[in-house]
Amino acid sequence: MELQLQHLCKHYGTKCAVNHVSTTLTPGVYGLLGANGAGKTTLMRMICGVLKPTSGRLCLDRKSIEELGEAYYARLGYMPQDFGFYPDFTAREFMRYMAAVKGLDKREVKNRTEELLELVNLRDVADRKIKSFSGGMKQRLGIAQAELNAPDILILDEPTAGLDPKERVRFRNLISDFAKDKIVILSTHIVSDVSYIADTILMMKDGKLFLQEPMATVTDSINGKVWELLVSDREAVEYSSRFSVVNLHHENGKVRLRMIHETAPVADAMTVSPSLEDLFLYHFGEEAGIERSEKNADKI
Amino acid sequence: MLIKYEFLKILRKKSTLIVMSASLLVTAFLFGLPALQFQTYNQSGVIKGVDGIAYEKEQAEKYAVPLTNEYVAETIREIQQLFENPDNVGYDGNEQFLIEGAYWEGIAPRENLLNMIAKNYTNPNESVGYNALPALDISEGTDFYAARQEKIGKLLNASSRALSEKQKAYWQDMNGKVDAPFVYGYYTGWNIIITSFELLMFAILAVCIVIAPVFSGEFQAGTDAVILSAKYGRTKLITAKIIASYLFGTLAFTLHALVALGLPLAAFGLGGWNLPLQIADTIIPYPLTFFQATLVNLGVVYLVLFAMIGFTLLLSAKMKSPYLVLIVLVPVLFIPLFLSPNGTTGAYNLTLFLLPYRSTMPEIGKYISYQFGGLVFDIFTMRAILYAVLTMIMLSLAKLSFKKHQVA
Repeated sequence: MELQLQHLCKHYGTKCAVNHVSTTLTPGVYGLLGANGAGKTTLMRMICGVLKPTSGRLCLDRKSIEELGEAYYARLGYMPQDFGFYPDFTAREFMRYMAAVKGLDKREVKNRTEELLELVNLRDVADRKIKSFSGGMKQRLGIAQAELNAPDILILDEPTAGLDPKERVRFRNLISDFAKDKIVILSTHIVSDVSYIADTILMMKDGKLFLQEPMATVTDSINGKVWELLVSDREAVEYSSRFSVVNLHHENGKVRLRMIHETAPVADAMTVSPSLEDLFLYHFGEEAGIERSEKNADKI
Repeated sequence: MLIKYEFLKILRKKSTLIVMSASLLVTAFLFGLPALQFQTYNQSGVIKGVDGIAYEKEQAEKYAVPLTNEYVAETIREIQQLFENPDNVGYDGNEQFLIEGAYWEGIAPRENLLNMIAKNYTNPNESVGYNALPALDISEGTDFYAARQEKIGKLLNASSRALSEKQKAYWQDMNGKVDAPFVYGYYTGWNIIITSFELLMFAILAVCIVIAPVFSGEFQAGTDAVILSAKYGRTKLITAKIIASYLFGTLAFTLHALVALGLPLAAFGLGGWNLPLQIADTIIPYPLTFFQATLVNLGVVYLVLFAMIGFTLLLSAKMKSPYLVLIVLVPVLFIPLFLSPNGTTGAYNLTLFLLPYRSTMPEIGKYISYQFGGLVFDIFTMRAILYAVLTMIMLSLAKLSFKKHQVA
């Protein structure tokens, strides 16, 4: 199975939200990273066929999705960011409704609904109205509906946004369970979420897809560019304003800084093994780094 | 399955219950008002409510007879004789009228019948009462139905109407199908219904308010992305939404119609259902009984409802919020309320009679017709065709609009 994105563009007036994105995706979990406004959601909506590209084509196994029509949507599962529910439906009714919209066989609907409600741990509350659900319960119901038709392509837009750490772990595990033999695209700006489950990292900036690397080697490009050093509080403020500081940690009256820089910021700085978060900040220094510097200065 | 859930989506909303309850109460109040306010008079004074209705019914049923020429001539003669006695006659400086016993015994029990007979002998658009009867020459009897034909002829040939020969022939042909002699009787309940159809606009509005979120509610709630990316999101789901909307609209409106028809008929009785419309006004050209006319107009009102549901669904598929839908819909439904016709011909009047609010009014005695080449349609047929066509167009556009919706 191959999902091909061919020169996908989306313009809103003069603004280019997605700019000539081309790639081929095969089964695996893809972590789509980018700062807010990078074009992730727009790209995902185009992949899901709910937003028409200004130009370019989307093909599944060399057939365009327009040509495939219902056959494409039958192989798709989508959990959009902040998508709504029908508050007066119970979880079970919502699942059965979505099963009908997805064209599941009548005999299949009941079994699949119960199986997924069990899997997302909502079976005990399946007859409660959705309006009484917490954010985490709604997110779990969201992924359950996306998985109803056992899709070959699963698109998850910010699925862990607003969840507490325990819920996020549970969610990551669910996604891993569902991911087998599928193309899963998981968009988030919570880097740690994708670092656990993604096989491949995709990065977008200003509407362009500029990086597509396997998780195992994605940080290789910044090997030797991540530094740590122990400084005084006063020096920490100075370094935070001059360098891209990823993290700071107070240790015995000193501050341990983690920075990204092409060369050693000072002679006694030590290189450390880069993480995905370092890579993210390396590429999105302007958008994410400024914000972080301000936060770090506040912390000191 | 999809229809069931779409129907549930409409039904489960708290707003549905509130809007429907309020609109049923309004409908019940408006159609119940004639019974509550009813009053009639006899020599003893005012008789109100149920007693008044029973009294009037009893009086009217005494005159439930075929209006043969002989009967009409005899009736006119009776009135003329009453006017011949000066003790019976009053004068208000403008016209003569009967007083005291002559009025209470000779006129009051059958005043509607006498007014109708008197009006049959006047020119179109002239309003007269029983006191016009003494002026009629019935020395050689009378041909009530020839007088009717003569009046209709004058009406059709009036220059202000500017009817074509085809239109005149159409109406004459229709009039030819009216059975004579008319059978007179009690018909108050049906008359109230026929003259109050426009009050059903509140029911139509209520249905439209409830279905306004069918598509736009998905955009507003953010569920559009999920359903449009599902296999049947752009196909069967749209059909299911439309069917569920029509199912709800039809059931809800039928409930209102039952209240609207049921209350006057419960209060005033079913009497008159099989009597011809012409006993209310002899110039009415439709060869229908009160019951048939009610059904025909109700059918037209249902078609108006269907078109308005279609229009609401189209707006709903185009707009991001149900409130925006209502901002457009309410003026479309109610602006014609403030526009009055200044005749029965001309583009303005002919258009006005086809607008939603006006289309609920039967306009049975106005001879409004529409000509397209050699084809002439009366107002019922024209409205039925127009609203059926509009329904089809609106639904096709609503389908297309939701199908092409972009989640942005």
